Amino acid sequence: MRTLFVTASIVASLFLSSVSYGLGAEEVIKKSQAAFLYPGKDFKARVLMKLISKDGQERIRELTMLRKNYGEPGEDQKYFIYFHQPADVRDMTFLVWKYPRKDSDRWLFIPAIKLVKRIAANDKRSSFVGSDFSYEDVSGRSIDEDTHALLREEKYEGKDVLVIKSVPKAPESVDFGYKLSWIDKGSFVPWKEEYFDKRGILSKVFSANEVKPVQGFMTIMKRTMRNVQSGHRTEVVYSDVKYNQGFPDSLFSERSLKSLPREIAR
Amino acid sequence: MMFSRVFAFCTLFLVFCPPAYSLSVHGFLEGAAGVRLAENPSQSKDFTMGEGRLQIELSQDGPLDSRLYLKGDLDVDGVGERGDADLREFYLDHSPLSFLDLRLGRQIVTWGTGDLIFVNDLFPKDFNSFFIGRNLEYLKVGSDAAKLSIYPGHFSLDLVAMPRFTPSEVPDGERLSFFNPFASRLSASGERLSARKPAFTLGNTEFAARLYRNFGSYEAALYGFRGFFKEPVGMDPVQGALFYPKLSTFGSSLRGPFLGGIGSLEFGYYDSREDGAGTNPLIENSSMKYLFGYERELRTDFTVRAQYFLEQMLDYDGYRANLPTGAPEKSELRHLLFLRVTQFLRYQTLQLSFVGFYSPSDEDGMVNPEVSYKISDRWSVTSGVNLFFGKKDATQFGQLTRDDNLYLRLRAGF
Repeated sequence: MRTLFVTASIVASLFLSSVSYGLGAEEVIKKSQAAFLYPGKDFKARVLMKLISKDGQERIRELTMLRKNYGEPGEDQKYFIYFHQPADVRDMTFLVWKYPRKDSDRWLFIPAIKLVKRIAANDKRSSFVGSDFSYEDVSGRSIDEDTHALLREEKYEGKDVLVIKSVPKAPESVDFGYKLSWIDKGSFVPWKEEYFDKRGILSKVFSANEVKPVQGFMTIMKRTMRNVQSGHRTEVVYSDVKYNQGFPDSLFSERSLKSLPREIAR
Repeated sequence: MMFSRVFAFCTLFLVFCPPAYSLSVHGFLEGAAGVRLAENPSQSKDFTMGEGRLQIELSQDGPLDSRLYLKGDLDVDGVGERGDADLREFYLDHSPLSFLDLRLGRQIVTWGTGDLIFVNDLFPKDFNSFFIGRNLEYLKVGSDAAKLSIYPGHFSLDLVAMPRFTPSEVPDGERLSFFNPFASRLSASGERLSARKPAFTLGNTEFAARLYRNFGSYEAALYGFRGFFKEPVGMDPVQGALFYPKLSTFGSSLRGPFLGGIGSLEFGYYDSREDGAGTNPLIENSSMKYLFGYERELRTDFTVRAQYFLEQMLDYDGYRANLPTGAPEKSELRHLLFLRVTQFLRYQTLQLSFVGFYSPSDEDGMVNPEVSYKISDRWSVTSGVNLFFGKKDATQFGQLTRDDNLYLRLRAGF
């Protein structure tokens, strides 16, 4: 009798611990976004993107990215991007005011004709500078656009992770059918994400290849997005990462688009 | 001569700049060719373009947030049969106060909401370059100017003073035909019209201003300009020359999210100051200009932009009453429709685009389909055609119907 009780309580506690791990799937995604898209009050990094085709041809996009948060994680953000290379985009600047519940405002400055162009931004799935990353992959997808479900807990490369399935509520608005995320139970690092197309076939795979703390914030220093259907992939390396630089609001304005602020070295 | 002075100045700046400040050198090498697709009896060559071009861009950071910038082209032109040095931009940037930016020197200034249609942007342009298929950057021409940008907080203000008049380049017979208003016909072989620029005097300094701010996602702006028409829209029959009449403009614009895309409105009032009554048929009348734009990404990497431009001649009755017999009559309202369709393919390395203009009132227009491919980060190739149509010789595109062309450009950037 006693043995049975102990066994039952062990089974129950095991069962409960996994269920009562505490967080719903949506909460896990929220924490993961807060940890990787919103850390610090602001953020700056030099970003080197390698766009690699199936046959190995490489193109480079090198940029400096600045971000500032407005409000809590999940709320508004502003991004400022300066392109260092290649030659055809050098000195271009790009400004995004991101709102979780409506289309972002985007401006692109074309230095050759000193034109500040407003970019129609209703398609968040379009490619960011020709890479395998979409705009949403760079700045985050609104959590309430998908329904999230915790599928299982498992080990991923020796780490305890939660596997979450996210299904878009409006399937016609996106280019994928659903997404699986392998999220670290402790740090909420999204170690891997798999995007499946509308036929349910694997299309894109994201992986975090190197993560390290910078000023106390866990930061993905190297990441890859691989299009498994086309064989094209994009590798991204962050360097000179800095948080909480006290960037003023005026930095995220038309003035910065046209004349590069001192926060960015050419 | 100009270049040697510029290089001497740059050398001085470099010598006096501590080595801690960085110098960047970039540019490109480009070959471009354009062939005529239509018979043009006024042209001896079958080419609209045949040129090699080296562009050098120097940027030197200096003390106190200053920066010296130079962009110059050296080109060998087979159509004009000459070599040329063109100082495209050469300016000094300085921010003496946190809310103040100064830019002094030859500079390109662009503002307004239009795509290839300009209402409140009265800065010089090179329409010939656009019509023969040069890169878009050659549509804009630098002005010798002092620009003051003030950012006190809730709004921003740009003030530009241009002591030396720079006209826009318009078809002049060298590569593209023009309508000769003195003879009321298209230009003949070798025919050129001289255009008299305003004298280089203090009183002829041109001024342009823009006051702008954001209201949430919407950008609003007010514009003002006092100077001269950038196109030679005045006729001096005594000297048989064209000239650039005095012009003042006032305008406004609004741009922001609209129906899932970006919508824009722009308005401008053109006060032709040398023809206040509108009764002088030799000088362009005053007018009102309205531009409506809408752009939307219809699906991933596929964007459509449409514009409707309306130009309303003021004092139309005065214009008609004084129009000499035989002179081509303009309509009171000029309507112009614009469409741009852009499709990116293969990770945005291949771009297909179509630009079209059509004026139902002038019954003229042009189409410009173009393919551009980025072979690598360094090399790119672009090809397209410019086809013009029109029923009357005197209209903007109608005068170019003999100048249809096919162009090809190959560029290596560094």
